[in-house]
Amino acid sequence: MYSSIIRPNTWVAIRLPSGVTRNILVTPNATISLGKYGSFPANLIIERPYHVTFEIEDQRPDEKYSRIRIVPASELYAEIFADEESPDCSAPTVDAAKPVISAEDGVEFTLVDAESGKLVTRSSGEVIDENARQTLTQEEIEELKREGSNAGKDVIAKLMLSHTALDQKTSFSLAKYKLLKTKKYIRRFQILPVDVPNLAHWQLEERDASKILDLRAEMIALVGSWGNVHYGGDSVYLGDPMATCEQGEEALAPLQGDLLNGRWLVVDDTGGLLVAAIAERMGVLFPELDEDEDSLDEQARREKRERREAEKEAEDNQDGDVDMADADDPANRAIDGARPKKVRSSDFAIPYSQTNTITVVHSASQPSLPFLGYWDFDAVAPSHAEHPLCRHLMCLTWLQLLKPELDTAYSTPPLTASPELLGSWKPSRRGNFHRKRRRFARTRHVVEATRAGGFSGLVCASTMDPISILKHTLPLLAGGAPVSMYSPTLEPLAALADCFSVSRRTAWTSGTLPEMVAKTVEELERWEGSEQFPLNPTLLLGTSIQTSRARRWQVLPGRTHPLMTERGGTDGYVFTAWRAKPAAGKVAAKGKFKRRKLETGSAAESEAADTPKA
Amino acid sequence: MTSTLPQTVSPFLEPGPRTKPNSLAVLQLSRDNFVPVYLQQASGEHDGYVEGAVINTRYGSFPHSTLLNVPWGSQVRASKVDTGSRGRKRKWQLDEEAGRATSEPIEDEKETGNGAGEENGDGDEGKQLVTDTSGFIHVLPPTPEIWTTSLPHRTQVVYTPDASYILHRIRARPGSTLIEAGAGSGSFTHASARAVYNGSLVKGKRPGKVFSFEFHEERYHKMKKELSDHALDGIVQLTHRDVYKDGFLVDGKSPEADAVFLDLPAPWEALPLLSRQRPQLREGEAGEAGANPWVSPLHPKKSVFICTFSPCVEQVTRTVSTLRHLGWVDIEMVEIANRKLHTARDRVGLYLPVDRGVNSSAKDIEEAITKLTEIEERFRENARPKQPADGSEPAKVASKAATNGKTSVDEAALKYPWLDGRLVTRGEPEIKTHTSYLVFAVLPMVWTAEDEATALARYPIGNEKFVVSLMGKASMKEERREAMQQKQGNRKSRRKDRDEKLAEAEG
Ligand SMILES: C[S@@+](CC[C@H](N)C(=O)[O-])C[C@H]1O[C@@H](n2cnc3c(N)ncnc32)[C@H](O)[C@@H]1O
Repeated sequence: MYSSIIRPNTWVAIRLPSGVTRNILVTPNATISLGKYGSFPANLIIERPYHVTFEIEDQRPDEKYSRIRIVPASELYAEIFADEESPDCSAPTVDAAKPVISAEDGVEFTLVDAESGKLVTRSSGEVIDENARQTLTQEEIEELKREGSNAGKDVIAKLMLSHTALDQKTSFSLAKYKLLKTKKYIRRFQILPVDVPNLAHWQLEERDASKILDLRAEMIALVGSWGNVHYGGDSVYLGDPMATCEQGEEALAPLQGDLLNGRWLVVDDTGGLLVAAIAERMGVLFPELDEDEDSLDEQARREKRERREAEKEAEDNQDGDVDMADADDPANRAIDGARPKKVRSSDFAIPYSQTNTITVVHSASQPSLPFLGYWDFDAVAPSHAEHPLCRHLMCLTWLQLLKPELDTAYSTPPLTASPELLGSWKPSRRGNFHRKRRRFARTRHVVEATRAGGFSGLVCASTMDPISILKHTLPLLAGGAPVSMYSPTLEPLAALADCFSVSRRTAWTSGTLPEMVAKTVEELERWEGSEQFPLNPTLLLGTSIQTSRARRWQVLPGRTHPLMTERGGTDGYVFTAWRAKPAAGKVAAKGKFKRRKLETGSAAESEAADTPKA
Repeated sequence: MTSTLPQTVSPFLEPGPRTKPNSLAVLQLSRDNFVPVYLQQASGEHDGYVEGAVINTRYGSFPHSTLLNVPWGSQVRASKVDTGSRGRKRKWQLDEEAGRATSEPIEDEKETGNGAGEENGDGDEGKQLVTDTSGFIHVLPPTPEIWTTSLPHRTQVVYTPDASYILHRIRARPGSTLIEAGAGSGSFTHASARAVYNGSLVKGKRPGKVFSFEFHEERYHKMKKELSDHALDGIVQLTHRDVYKDGFLVDGKSPEADAVFLDLPAPWEALPLLSRQRPQLREGEAGEAGANPWVSPLHPKKSVFICTFSPCVEQVTRTVSTLRHLGWVDIEMVEIANRKLHTARDRVGLYLPVDRGVNSSAKDIEEAITKLTEIEERFRENARPKQPADGSEPAKVASKAATNGKTSVDEAALKYPWLDGRLVTRGEPEIKTHTSYLVFAVLPMVWTAEDEATALARYPIGNEKFVVSLMGKASMKEERREAMQQKQGNRKSRRKDRDEKLAEAEG
């Protein structure tokens, strides 16, 4: 569960005055430098709350660092509140006698002479100190910033003065002007947690949007909802088969189909952002699952963490290659949080839960999910500290899924060795031996469990042809399971939807197609595709394509309007449907249509809806 | 709330592999026509009939027995039902039982039997149902998305494009505690329940909860019933309440919410009661302040995310202003435009057979020219004296050559209507109108001077050893590497590897 307190050694997003966010790792005893905005000790934000606004203060004469303070909301909004109070909100300011920005009432933007503290300008611009009107050079600005006096406010003041046309500005553009300059120089920042919405936003707006296939928040939300992705049941584990090192394949724990539940099949070409979004919806993204940490007092929390780390260290030293299976052991079908005391598990113990899991099929030999690193998870690490994804995320290649016999990891029988022989080996060799056996058992389990099918849903954001993805994944979906596929472009999804067109379905169910003759329902569910019918058109129901777009508005007293500075980029599309279980044989699809006399509630149906769904 | 009966998990959350008796299922009649239904086992008398219920649709009759215990997603054929012996009796079950209000005529027929070859213990065993050729339906597990389109509307509802975005933005996740007002028709409630659900068996884990409020009595009761029918009453706690007046505590206790959704006509009336500190008294209110200690409905140690949903800008302006005065930050207003796209095969051509969906005009310039030439030829032919001296028909021959044999219809053209024509996409015929404005904001936790002193004592400053800079990517990497060298242990270096991988991924 994610915390509202900034923990040491976690990734956070810093939102700078410019509105730009940057991700950093909060390391104790570091100095965090915001470049031109200044710098401050990282320890000043550790165990402080997220979302508050900090301001870098002026360095105290006896200190080598700048402290920060929390800016109260009343101060953040002082200017807006002042605007609200002006009698006519629709046309603010223009009260010549009243300074737009005054020093007295603590409003942040004091347009004052830095030396005398005297007010130098008003909205009408009539009291402008002529000397102050000259344009500041870039050098002077730098100088001012270096001095760092008055937290950048006087830089703003000077800059505003330097704008010779200030007095000619309308109140509207004046406000805008202030805002712009403010964004640039005021030394304020916010710390935001790195969660899926924030990471996606950051990657989209400030990094490379193409790396995440332009997956915007609206689309993440739609794809997850239509995929019906949610907590898929309390964790259930297979019993440890207690394989001794002399045993081979025969000792593997058999798959138990009835235990497999709440599993989502995923194809992710967004570097792990999609998997992260799914994991977040399933409650397996954040490293600290025990939420009660927040309710523990500081001391207890720290002790607990230290204890956990100590245990971890001990484990690490125990054997050359301890990995997560040993960190703590799945009990015999134990439930999360109720795991019994640690017993060293055998090589063939399956660390994965049988429920609430994500299965990623990838096309390279290793999964590419680097974004999960922000939540302290590495899908390709040979060993791993405890993380919910260790037990709930499984990865396999398309080759392992479709032709496992060609995959070495799957098809090479496990090593065996007598205890005597094992004892004679160097620890590193022994470690290697166990690692290989564990890898074998896991690969077997992941492949078999995936091939067993019965998935609760399919969610994709991939550059691969969606038709080919569905060809191989439709048979793996449980009846009624949703399919939810994102694409940054419409065409691939349109081609997919066309495979399920009314005319295709009608032709298919007419039972007259030569391709279908003498095929059972099961065979047709594994339809390999033909030119005429790339997919079995009766395997999906309610196919639909949609797109969503959020438009942001500015809401200010008298100045509420859509933002013009909206980022461009692609809209993105989502294809949705549900997996059907077609009845065997020819299915008549006439429908009893009493023309003219429509049934209640069906009057509004479109023509498409009227068409028999064959 | 705490029922002694074993709580069944909602079919919305864990539907299992097959349809079950007395549980909600959704029948898909046609593309966008969903009918929610509680499947019943045929067991003795049912409303004066000896057999179980039958659902009648325009695609035929479907005895419940044919829909029970089948895999979800199953296509089920209509059955011939015998209506003769008792005659027809129509019961229009409109809104009579919440959720069962299908506005479809539900007929109880004198017929039962074994559906889909499954053994059905009750009723007239052995009597086979006869498949009717009138059609089929599909049976789907309920989801918030389907429910939203098929629920009995009692108010305006929040649809999936908005609901999904809102839940994403207010960080409604497994284990979250969400306050919702007003419940209305429960569309958003169902999506929320799915979002916060985090199981129930684990001790020490705080269960995800939705605290929902509705002051309209009839709606409250309907929804209460619906929640229990859907086995969601363990997750959603519905309270009959005017939240403007009486706030959000339940049984005097704080729900400790970390997410809030307000779909109310005047959110600003409710906002002061969602404060961390005692709200200032509004004008006209009795000054009983201080009588009871103020209890905030919000989680004291978490940032709280809020969304308000309002149809017009005036409401938004007022809401935003109130939020600012109450200390909410990161206030943002967003409008979601959602569009459905339909695909079709555009079939255009002069020589295509006349068929539904075929546009009989020239598909390109060449075809137009061909046709025009044809017409000209025919015109000239008609203008010519009927019987030329030599008796030959040169004009016709020429015409045939010009049109490449396409005098009338190209019969081969539509052999595969699903392949012919150009694949096109079209937006929805009716342009989706504006739904509502969404206002988002965050309320950070309170940070006192004591909190600050504690934190400062635990993480003293002045011992800074290295600089982490946000500026250039290259320098960032360099600094991070340096930072890593300060630490020891292989766990740290593993993290370092990861960071580098991240940096590369971003690069
Ligand atoms: C538009 S509906 C909500 C629809 C709901 N979000 C959905 O998706 O189905 C608004 C509801 O708020 C309720 N309501 C209005 N004022 C209220 C108040 N002061 N306290 C509690 N409920 C209120 C109304 O009775 C109405 O049912």
